[in-house]
Amino acid sequence: MEELLRSGYRRVTAIGASAFAARPFAGMVPGAVELLPVLVLNGLVWGLIVALIALGLSIIFGLLDFVNVAHGDFFMVGAVLAWVLIDSTGNFWIAFAIVPAIGLVAGGLIERGVLRPVENDASLSIVASFGLSLILQEGVRATYGATPKRILDPIGVTFPVFGLEYEFYRLFAAGVSLIAMGAFFLFLHRTKFGTWMRAVRQDREIAIAMGVPSDRIFMWTFGLGTAMAMLGGVVAAPLTSVEFRLGLDVLPLCFIAVIIGGLGNLPGTAAAAVLLSVMEGAITSIAEPTTARIISLVFMSAVLLVRPRGLFTRLAT
Amino acid sequence: MKLVVLGVLALAAPLVLVDYQLVFAAEILVWGLFALSFGLVYGFGGMLSFAQALYFGMGCYGFNVATYKYALGTWSAIAAGVAAAFLFAIPTGYIATRVRRHHFLIVTVILSVLTSAMLASGHWRWIAGPYVTRSLPFVPTLAVGPWELSFGSEAFTFYFSAAMVAAAVWLAWRLVSSPFGRALAAIRDNEARAELGGLNVNLLRWLMFTFAAGIAGLAGTLYVLLARYTNIEFFDWTYSGKAVVAAILGGASSLAGPFAGMAFYLVTTEYLSRYMQQVAIAFGLLLLVVVRFAPEGIYVACARRLREVFKRRPRE
Repeated sequence: MEELLRSGYRRVTAIGASAFAARPFAGMVPGAVELLPVLVLNGLVWGLIVALIALGLSIIFGLLDFVNVAHGDFFMVGAVLAWVLIDSTGNFWIAFAIVPAIGLVAGGLIERGVLRPVENDASLSIVASFGLSLILQEGVRATYGATPKRILDPIGVTFPVFGLEYEFYRLFAAGVSLIAMGAFFLFLHRTKFGTWMRAVRQDREIAIAMGVPSDRIFMWTFGLGTAMAMLGGVVAAPLTSVEFRLGLDVLPLCFIAVIIGGLGNLPGTAAAAVLLSVMEGAITSIAEPTTARIISLVFMSAVLLVRPRGLFTRLAT
Repeated sequence: MKLVVLGVLALAAPLVLVDYQLVFAAEILVWGLFALSFGLVYGFGGMLSFAQALYFGMGCYGFNVATYKYALGTWSAIAAGVAAAFLFAIPTGYIATRVRRHHFLIVTVILSVLTSAMLASGHWRWIAGPYVTRSLPFVPTLAVGPWELSFGSEAFTFYFSAAMVAAAVWLAWRLVSSPFGRALAAIRDNEARAELGGLNVNLLRWLMFTFAAGIAGLAGTLYVLLARYTNIEFFDWTYSGKAVVAAILGGASSLAGPFAGMAFYLVTTEYLSRYMQQVAIAFGLLLLVVVRFAPEGIYVACARRLREVFKRRPRE
């Protein structure tokens, strides 16, 4: 009897201790803190790529009110196409030109031909894009195969960062993402088409009444969003393993970035994606990766509850 | 009238269907119940939730904890599964129902990703334990009065699933046609006005969310009894996606719609898979077609069509 009590007691304390003490940090590796700069750098690189994809999602979401569940799969298709291009031509760099162009045209055509009737209805858009996502995933699985494939570092140059050999390609990837985002913002603010896009987002009826060709705007907005996702796929392809389920992990991150940044607030979206990723990287230096993700997600939910209009309201365009 | 037909169909099903078809029929009912839990939250409460799979998974989890850790009987395990989903929905639902529209969607996505990440991680074993991914090493039996009935029998499995699903649907029907359900419909249609009318909006939304979570938990426990295995996948947001798609496909704002949608989903994928390899592509195309031509849902569209046909006849 006494022993039973004691074992019961021990169990209770064990659960109590793990719930309240440093259990979430159980993966802490002594000395991993030294990796902090590298992990933050990694987080920054990955965050910039996610920001690029999330911006694509955000313009589709904000302009067409279309909850695009297939966006992550367009990212995956971009990565797969990059692999296919390397495999057939041996040249990685042409993917940067070809794949976004394919995305632009394919996205535009899909919007025009398939998705137009279900826009402006969040629930129907989920069903339609879920169908699209099934088609993309299974299409890739049927043609490209189910096994994950890797792309070798296309630059192959490393340099020392804080005692580690760091791949130069990662910096290049960050640079491409930054340039693409910069070009996108210039397009949005310095061209006629970009101004139209902002006008339609602000007030669709007035914009149409003023003669903005909204049909074309919707078509090319979807195309542009898709192109950004697929460019993100090309950039990320050498950094991860390329497979048909690649989009499933990225999609929630993009949605979180879109909302945390403030719906329709494009710079906020990019900032939120970078913040989420850098924070995860920084926490990874003292905890194991899953814990880092959990902590950053909890932080994000807290932000959402305290500031439902987004973290970066000052950045609103 | 409709109910009588359904009841007769359910009773007669084991006479007509082969064993594996019976289990398939029971599976449709159980997954349909899961879709209904989304239908309650979205169609009747206006909350686009991607967290329903969490509560389905919690139903499995509660069942496993009850049978594996405490060696309880099947009735208690079912109760434990529903309770697990219900209890988990109290805090998570409280958080989620504070926010609206797209924010609600994202909070539920975050909750799903968070929970899946925790359970998948090796560092949360003290929670996940052997309860998340498990094949039942025994055939569950159920004490009904003096009898001990086994889930080894397909007919009993079917009858039991059908009876439990019918009970849950009856409960849901009572709920949505009660003053509570009407208040919730008012909130869904015009929240500001409902609040001015004196309704405690957040509380009502929270209550509905928790109730629907209990329904999803019940679906989870029924699924364990049916398939005798559980998987960490059940917690994944993509599983919620299936409920969302099925419910909206069938018509989320009716009680029968989610079942119709889930039946359509499972039957087409099952039968298409016999004739072709890339079922999912065909099904994806089918989804696009349905959304284009029956945007209010298959069930609602068919019901309206039937009504039109039956109305026209007496006039002729």
